[in-house]
Amino acid sequence: MIISKKKDHEELLSLIGNYNSFFLIGCSECASLCGTGNDEAIAELTEKLKAAGKTVVSATIPKTGCQTLGTKTELKKFKEFTDKADAIIVMSCGAGTQSAVEIFPDKPVFPANNTLFLGNMTRFQVFDERCSLCGECIIGLTGGICPVTNCPKGLLNGPCGGMSDGNCEVSPDIKCAWVRIYERQKKIGNLEQMKEIIPAKNWSANQRPANLSLKEKKDKTNEVKK
Amino acid sequence: MTFAEKIRSNKFVVTAEVGPPKGTNIKDVLHHIELLKGKVDALNVTDNQSAVMRICSLAGSKLIVDAGAEPILQMTCRDRNRIGLQSDLLGAAILGIKNVLCMTGDHVSAGDHKNAKPVYDVESVQLLQIVDSLNKGRDMSGNELQGATDFFQGAVVTPEANPLEPQLMKFEKKVKAGANFFQTQAIYDMAKFKEFMKFARKYPVKILAGFVVLKSAGMANFLNNFVPGIKVPQELIDELKAAPKGTALETGMNITARHIRELMDEKICDGVHIMAIGMEDKVPLILQKAGL
Ligand code: SF4
Ligand code: SF4
Repeated sequence: MIISKKKDHEELLSLIGNYNSFFLIGCSECASLCGTGNDEAIAELTEKLKAAGKTVVSATIPKTGCQTLGTKTELKKFKEFTDKADAIIVMSCGAGTQSAVEIFPDKPVFPANNTLFLGNMTRFQVFDERCSLCGECIIGLTGGICPVTNCPKGLLNGPCGGMSDGNCEVSPDIKCAWVRIYERQKKIGNLEQMKEIIPAKNWSANQRPANLSLKEKKDKTNEVKK
Repeated sequence: MTFAEKIRSNKFVVTAEVGPPKGTNIKDVLHHIELLKGKVDALNVTDNQSAVMRICSLAGSKLIVDAGAEPILQMTCRDRNRIGLQSDLLGAAILGIKNVLCMTGDHVSAGDHKNAKPVYDVESVQLLQIVDSLNKGRDMSGNELQGATDFFQGAVVTPEANPLEPQLMKFEKKVKAGANFFQTQAIYDMAKFKEFMKFARKYPVKILAGFVVLKSAGMANFLNNFVPGIKVPQELIDELKAAPKGTALETGMNITARHIRELMDEKICDGVHIMAIGMEDKVPLILQKAGL
């Protein structure tokens, strides 16, 4: 899921500047699990905005904020309120926020959150990054553990000289990704694979903005936009 | 004879390193080059060591060429993508730089520009492949070069990494990728180093044992606690502690000289690499003590 974190409130207040009335949009998926776009988060922000002398005309939590079409349909029934609001505040990830930008072409839209990473919930309310969406997955070569993401240097061919007693040079409280890969390859009897040189990554597969249409015959994923 | 020719003819080679300064005053580095140039076979030039921004290793290496000595250009993958690295390598070749040491590079979080974006578009193994390819007249994308390079390329290895096996597997990859020689992380335990050499001798590469002089027992403890891949054995720490007041550095230099002598006499490895870290002016004395 997409991990988000509330922005510092002072920063949000300076972003919304002189606008006075707001419509708040949460999200029932990732942002709810992160506590940034659920009922509690909306109630909290409403209180804080009131305390700052602002008005919240209404709020809603669409099912999936990044599903632009569905969100647009859901928001139709709030037209009366959204019309009244000076601006929209979106309490989801950056993708959900930009759905709102598309849905409200004439209104200012502000993000309430910072969007951090694609995360695995490894314990309740604890999120860890495992995949950084590089566009060409290589974990079939690394025992299923992603060095692009789990190694702060994204090294593809083994541990750097900074590895210390199995821990990472950059974050000594985490295990070196390459020691994890080594241990797993050993356990699953696949150590031979670790001897193969993995070529430099094809970063053109990571070209932004990415796009994929299942309707068109041609796969346009990451194709350079003209 | 060039550094490559010397090492290939089985001469016991000696390398040391100089670190370019932060700023345009190069008085000290020129002094160190003058001091060391006749005494060592090649001089490494560090590449923004510890991710602290300084004069680039390319310009530093050129100073050594101009002084009539041979540089080993250290190149890390932290600050340049594959285009920048190849371009600098071609530049190095036309400036008369013959040796290059391919490294991953300390992370930016260790240095003095912590908010920088680390690059690591390629890493040490792939950089060795790139150098190999440039030597064969092609860039990384397979395009033909107007004039190939002729680098003697090396890499680094940590013989005391823990766990060791993944490090040895990476060593094998570096050999496969075209490394001709290796300079090791600082070593202090001769028995363990000899074990490593039994492994390394299976490969057609030259090994230079790395040395960092111990200035005191405190420094030894610091290295053990804070520097990855360095293990100073207790008996050396005791030896430093037992040194009469004011002679710890002398004792440290004697230890280094003794170890170098041992490796040379027993033909354990192909040379030594002395990382002076601010004590460049002591290197000639250490070499003299070692009988080199
Ligand atoms: S290799 Fe790329 S796609 Fe695969 S897990 Fe890592 S970042 Fe994600
Ligand atoms: S210690 Fe391991 S995980 Fe950390 S940067 Fe080095 S190789 Fe990557």
